[in-house]
Amino acid sequence: MDEIVAEFIRRTILKIPMYEMMTILKAWNFLSENQLQTINFRQRKECLVQDLVLLCEEKCASLNDAALLDIIYTQVHRHQKVWDVFQMSKKPDEDIDLFDMEQFKCSFKKILQRALKNVTVSFRDAEENAVWIRIAWGTQCTKPNQYKPTYVLLYPQTPYAFTSSKLKSFMPLLGQALTVASKHHQIVKMDLRSRHLDSLKAIVFKQCNQTFEDHNSITPLQERCLELDVNVDSRIIHENTVEKERVQRVTQETFGDYPQPQLEFAQYKLVTKFKSDLNGGILAERKEPLRCLIKFSSPHLLEALKSLAPAGIADAPLSPLLTCIPNKGMNYFKIRDK
Amino acid sequence: MERAHTICQDGVSSGGVLAHLERLEAQVNKSHKKSEELQSAQAEESALETKIHQLRHIRDKLRAEVKQRQARANASSANVEPDQTVEISEQDVLERKQENMKAILQAYHFTGLSGKVTSRGVCVCISTAFEGNLLDSYFVDLVIQKPLQIHHHSIPVFIPLEKIAAKYLQTDIQHFLFSLCEYLNAYSGRKYQADQLQSDFAALLTGPLQRNPLCNLLSFTYKVDLGDRSFPFCARLLYKDLTRTLPTDVTVTYQGMEALSTAWEKHRASHETLFCTVPLHRVFASFSREGEKLDLSLS
Repeated sequence: MDEIVAEFIRRTILKIPMYEMMTILKAWNFLSENQLQTINFRQRKECLVQDLVLLCEEKCASLNDAALLDIIYTQVHRHQKVWDVFQMSKKPDEDIDLFDMEQFKCSFKKILQRALKNVTVSFRDAEENAVWIRIAWGTQCTKPNQYKPTYVLLYPQTPYAFTSSKLKSFMPLLGQALTVASKHHQIVKMDLRSRHLDSLKAIVFKQCNQTFEDHNSITPLQERCLELDVNVDSRIIHENTVEKERVQRVTQETFGDYPQPQLEFAQYKLVTKFKSDLNGGILAERKEPLRCLIKFSSPHLLEALKSLAPAGIADAPLSPLLTCIPNKGMNYFKIRDK
Repeated sequence: MERAHTICQDGVSSGGVLAHLERLEAQVNKSHKKSEELQSAQAEESALETKIHQLRHIRDKLRAEVKQRQARANASSANVEPDQTVEISEQDVLERKQENMKAILQAYHFTGLSGKVTSRGVCVCISTAFEGNLLDSYFVDLVIQKPLQIHHHSIPVFIPLEKIAAKYLQTDIQHFLFSLCEYLNAYSGRKYQADQLQSDFAALLTGPLQRNPLCNLLSFTYKVDLGDRSFPFCARLLYKDLTRTLPTDVTVTYQGMEALSTAWEKHRASHETLFCTVPLHRVFASFSREGEKLDLSLS
């Protein structure tokens, strides 16, 4: 086994937390049950990793095997990376998409290998007919850098691919390879970014709201009631019940009753002229537009926005710039004067 | 028996009287027995007769009682207050009607296209089926306003919903729904065939089934066994018409080393036709049944 491969495997296994070790190794399915049983999993991590690497050497692990382990680690720890969304499109009256997975994999690999002689491409099939792709980039003269790979989660027969990449210079080549291999015409990067891959998927596939009214199921929508304290003394009257109810209704209409997809930020780049009701003022006379960047951050941005009006912090309805995020599939905005 | 002996030794006359008396005695006994039997039979007969009479009597009594009770019941029900009965039965009738209505609305699923009115408009449910098997249901929640809008839905991403909506949603909603039904039912049917092949006929496949999300390209290798020889084939099914559950293009290639005999070439061609005309899982069902038939026909 190559020293590079051995070191790569060693570093990858070292990243895995102890409580996940068994699950990930089993998912990798490179070392058999019997082999895993010969290892003492209670020893210090460094020693455990040494033992595992030795086993991999005995079994002659290849670069591809190591890459697969890396893909599995990334799948489990997907929230550690920031994911971008790319949208591909076909020409308007193109033929039906007869996606052939084997053909795609072959074509994708060939395109990258023709462009850069040194590149490691690995695939792992995932649920819902999706495929994970890992690319380690090299150049015509240098070997691929296994420690800064690009990951792609592709959903065939849909326009969408999710990517995470530390090296931005290879993105155009990646885009081209994806487009050509999947028989699309064009690829565009969406203004949508998050650590939460599943939320991104829910937004672009429009799967956020999955409750439907049906005669076969009891609808909780019909039993909606205000979250006012029912046990409170009936002599106490809420003066602003009407307003509270209105706010609840508007919030429910805008955000729905379902859990919001998880995003960490929304960024607005403003290139606008200053508008003021007052006459004069230095800013109003400025000919050039002001540039500023407004960024909203939150562990769960959309839930936070949803709770603004009911908490009394903002007026309902909220600005459409905030509420359009899941519908437009954007959380990066550029706002200019019209 | 000694007497009989003496009778034989002494001659006929001396034993004759005693024997005669004996015979007479036996005769009398016999006739006594007979008359006794007759008497007992007669007694039995009369006993049974009386029993029959008794049972008939009881039966008639019970019949009379039943008649009496019925008459009493009818009389008493006629005496019950009219208001109470009307109330109960009306409520019952209404409840039964409501249950009936609910059941009918639920049963509408089986028609394939059903819906429920919502506060915004209507939520349409498309229940797909293939060969009499009820498969997945998909929903489209429509907002009734100008223009008509889709609020949210559960249609898979690879079904061209936007295209169909752009064509028909605003102008002809019926066409929109029927077109969507067509695509979804065809997709469900193709998916069902692929799933059935993977689950029920895995033994006949020599490799994994290659498929894509729309199930409109299937590629697999299978073998036909004949005695000790095994004929491997590779099949590639293309479904270019997304509204159909049968493929538009089929290619079956022989994977063996030697050239294919004419008989087997005919088989290969017949397989191609089969895949084009018969649902996938049925083709394989016939393969597993005809394994033996092939044996006979080609020997």
